[in-house]
Amino acid sequence: MSLRSDRIGWALLLAVIGFALLAPAFDQTGPLKQSLLKALAGPDAAAPFGYDHLGRSLFSRLAHALRLSLTIAFAATATAAVVGIGLGVLAAWRGGWIDRALGLVADSVLALPALLMVLMMGVILPGMGAAFWAGIAAVQWIEFFRLTRRACRAVMDGPAVEAARIQGFGPAWIFRRILWPEIGPVLRTAMAFGVAGAIAAIAALGFVSVGVPAPTPELGQMMVELLPSWREAPVAVAQPVAACFVLLLSLNLIAGGRA
Amino acid sequence: MRGLTGILAFRLAQAAGVALVVGVMSFLMIQAMPGDAAYRIAAARYGYDMVSSQAADAVRAELNLDAGALAQFGGWIADLLRFDLGRSVVSGEPVAHEIAHQLGATLHLSVVALLIALLIGPPLGVLAGLRAGGLLDRVLLVAAAGLRAMPQFLLGLVLIVALAVEAGLLPSAGHGRAAHVVLPALTLALGLAAGSARIARDLMAGIAASQHYAFARMKGLSDGQVLRHHGLRNIAAPLLTYLGLQFVFLAEGVVVVETIFGWPGIGHALIHAVFHRDVPMVQGTALVMGLGFVVLNALIDLAAGRIDPRGVTA
Amino acid sequence: MIRSALLAVTAALCPLTALADDQTLDIAAPFELKGLDPALSGDIFLRLEIAETLVDSDAKGRLRPGLATEWTTSEDGLEWRFRIREGVAFHDGTMLDAAAAAISLNHARSHEGLLSRAPITDIRADGADLVVALSEPFAILPAFLAEYRSQILAPASYGPDGEVVALIGTGAFRTTEVSPPQTLAAERFEDYWDGAARIPALRYTAVTRSETRALMAESGDAELVVTLDPASVTRLSELEDLEVVSAPLPRVLMLKVDAASPFFDSAAEREALSMAIDRAGLAQVVLRYDASADQMFPPNMDGWHDAALPPLSYDPEAARALLEQAGWTPGDDGIMQKDGQRFAVELVTYPDRPELPLTATVLQQLFHDIGVDIRIVSSNSSEIPARHAAGTLQMGLMARNFALVPDPTGTLLQDYAPGGDWGAMGWDNPEAAQLIRRMASEGATPGDRARIAAIFRQDLPVIPIAWYQQTAAISDRVEGITLDPYERGFGLARAGFVE
Repeated sequence: MSLRSDRIGWALLLAVIGFALLAPAFDQTGPLKQSLLKALAGPDAAAPFGYDHLGRSLFSRLAHALRLSLTIAFAATATAAVVGIGLGVLAAWRGGWIDRALGLVADSVLALPALLMVLMMGVILPGMGAAFWAGIAAVQWIEFFRLTRRACRAVMDGPAVEAARIQGFGPAWIFRRILWPEIGPVLRTAMAFGVAGAIAAIAALGFVSVGVPAPTPELGQMMVELLPSWREAPVAVAQPVAACFVLLLSLNLIAGGRA
Repeated sequence: MRGLTGILAFRLAQAAGVALVVGVMSFLMIQAMPGDAAYRIAAARYGYDMVSSQAADAVRAELNLDAGALAQFGGWIADLLRFDLGRSVVSGEPVAHEIAHQLGATLHLSVVALLIALLIGPPLGVLAGLRAGGLLDRVLLVAAAGLRAMPQFLLGLVLIVALAVEAGLLPSAGHGRAAHVVLPALTLALGLAAGSARIARDLMAGIAASQHYAFARMKGLSDGQVLRHHGLRNIAAPLLTYLGLQFVFLAEGVVVVETIFGWPGIGHALIHAVFHRDVPMVQGTALVMGLGFVVLNALIDLAAGRIDPRGVTA
Repeated sequence: MIRSALLAVTAALCPLTALADDQTLDIAAPFELKGLDPALSGDIFLRLEIAETLVDSDAKGRLRPGLATEWTTSEDGLEWRFRIREGVAFHDGTMLDAAAAAISLNHARSHEGLLSRAPITDIRADGADLVVALSEPFAILPAFLAEYRSQILAPASYGPDGEVVALIGTGAFRTTEVSPPQTLAAERFEDYWDGAARIPALRYTAVTRSETRALMAESGDAELVVTLDPASVTRLSELEDLEVVSAPLPRVLMLKVDAASPFFDSAAEREALSMAIDRAGLAQVVLRYDASADQMFPPNMDGWHDAALPPLSYDPEAARALLEQAGWTPGDDGIMQKDGQRFAVELVTYPDRPELPLTATVLQQLFHDIGVDIRIVSSNSSEIPARHAAGTLQMGLMARNFALVPDPTGTLLQDYAPGGDWGAMGWDNPEAAQLIRRMASEGATPGDRARIAAIFRQDLPVIPIAWYQQTAAISDRVEGITLDPYERGFGLARAGFVE
């Protein structure tokens, strides 16, 4: 894709993040305050986006849902990246049985569906935020691990590393100056895809009702709750759908622009 | 390229790794369940109107749940070595029997999805790649980006509303009649089609711009002939490898799509098993899904090697 | 291009829809098939009229003959005789007799369930009669035999180890396929004792997601869709080719509290909580029908509902006043306190019924308005009995069915004499417990029922919130389907396709 779609992606992502961060400042009601009489009502001054089925402000719920999804997704992907890159460098650096063992673990986890990992983490670690974070990170580190290991191996045997070693530079220097410029762009793509995958996974689990427990707003769960009213209040249903779509689209555009 | 034995040895090690990871995760799951597993199982068996302390006590005694997690884990590994997956604690049926039943439904769904994806994705990608930068190419990029930004559950609902409820073309959900497979398969297929179209387009664009392709055109071969002789063979192997990797995507989609469409497959069973704390079923389904991935990739390694013996690696 | 390819694929597969069988009644319901044993999925077999019980009940919950034509009890109440109906064939062609009924009931009794808890010493055949011997009088026994776990299967249904290996009932439909968890297919049983059904075949699909079920009704894929979520009711009611019907159920949405905990140990505190609940608003928004409960038992429970009882009302001001009289004072954060303890409790509920977590969310705010802070734990339904047994339950929000057996006394016996998993907790009312036990063993007088309703109203061992309605969407292609308040069936044997 062209550079333009990349920029559109960043603009969309910043707009969504901006909304998630700033909206609560303009919001008087909060995401949990109910006014039952206004259930599914249209926008007014207190709720610029209208009300959900329990008369809660959609504006506020949407902002908090986006905050939650973004926080978990970025935290999980960042953790996965740190672990994956670290282990990838380790595997490429040391080689031998460490390399083989890590490779085997990675391949084994890769064979399992990511949702399963998150689901099982949800059982093992009650308290959903931590479960999502751990489950998603437990799947995503593999992508980073594989990319890093492959890139490192190629560079490690190259003349630049050899020269640096002879000059007495340590691993940190070599990583920063030689490895990072090589793998950086690829990893940024992987991160954008990773965040998008995480957001979709959280929403999907919310949708199959194993996600974040109510009443905490979450995109997938908002969609499920509003879905039966799709004839009565199509605009209300469209909001979490659109938010989720824009968020994923922006991340895909960013990732695609670098690929 | 690695030899046949190399591929098999690698995949065997991976299979053992899968079993171990599944075992450890399930072990942690049992550990994380305090004394109320009997209640969970009783609720799963008898429903919320009937679950009671007496029912839970009866379940506890029947399944010997007080034995402890380590003993249960050891028992599972020992059974596994005898190729015995145990019995579902909810239905009491052998896990292998239940999975065989569900796996059939899931394979049915996956194969149809894969066929639809192959029917839509690569042909469009090839066409777009032949005229890179053309109208079709650009439309395809936008459509693919849009499809990938659409979570599957959402896509599924949009398809139900559009094709089943509004247009009345297809049944919305259920299982049993041939037409029931179409909507869930389409939901799975569209995402796959978007990805494979992009891969095919990039490969085709590369080939179309290459010298031997231009030379073949100069020899006076028609578009179709050039494509058959020089294009498709070069595309097939990488595409196959890509689709193999997408099996995970498919397996994941199956979990969500089966739940929405009420399709009695392995993904649906997995969600239920996790809900019901039916540990033998979780272990069994996860193991089968993981091993399925391993076997499929081994097959793809072999097939890709056949189609294009030059430098395809696993 | 994509669209045309899609259309091509759709068009290629389209003729398949035309094959949809017009002579099969498609039913979609949330209840998954778990196995062949009536203890696991007998409710489905009963509703689909595949298997039947000795005793049946009508729409009012009054017992009537089923596979037994009449029943009598001995002078001392220790022996019951059930006369088995003649000329009833099982689906495998064998004939029903007392010995076959005894096998089924002894199977049910040997597993955990109602019969295993009843004071039964022996079940045996005696000529054309089935004889049940008791260790103490038990007037409610016929109602117990109407429960789905007491259904009668042919002797060939049981394998050598006593487990159910085939589903051979006496009902109007005979199964042709049972594929747990989702599908059951059945065909008309021509030799049904009460006359063969009009519908040639049934297909039952368990669809757990309510939105999918509603869409199936909307797209016409299922002629009968059972249990609709409230919002879908509104949507489906506007459609022309189907009818949304509802029937009041003896099922109550209620809040269970630990009456022994310092938060709820006085009736005044429980009354205060009750007064904090805006039942009308809640029912309107969450359930979308006017079903706010002003006492425990709904009006369709004859003799149990007492219109003269003072109704449960909504008055947050009075609720605060009651709490303050009980020694609670508002703290700095607006939450009530007593002896340094905040009025902060956990409410356990379960998402199996989608309205429960929603109701919990609304309650959270209503209780906050009177200075009670609750934390919602939406978990598995078994958490309520599990925490009850462990003594750690503070509040549970649940939907309790009083028609587990047609006589509500059966449920009350489990739940309130003196307490139980799905009933009172830490509640000490010897009068109620004695009364319920006496009703179970000797039978009830109208005065007994009203007295129970009055005790529940006054003492509030649990706090009723709403009375349920069963909802279903029925296609206009079928006629004669009825909703039974006791959830025993849909009248399938008498229903038919519109010509």
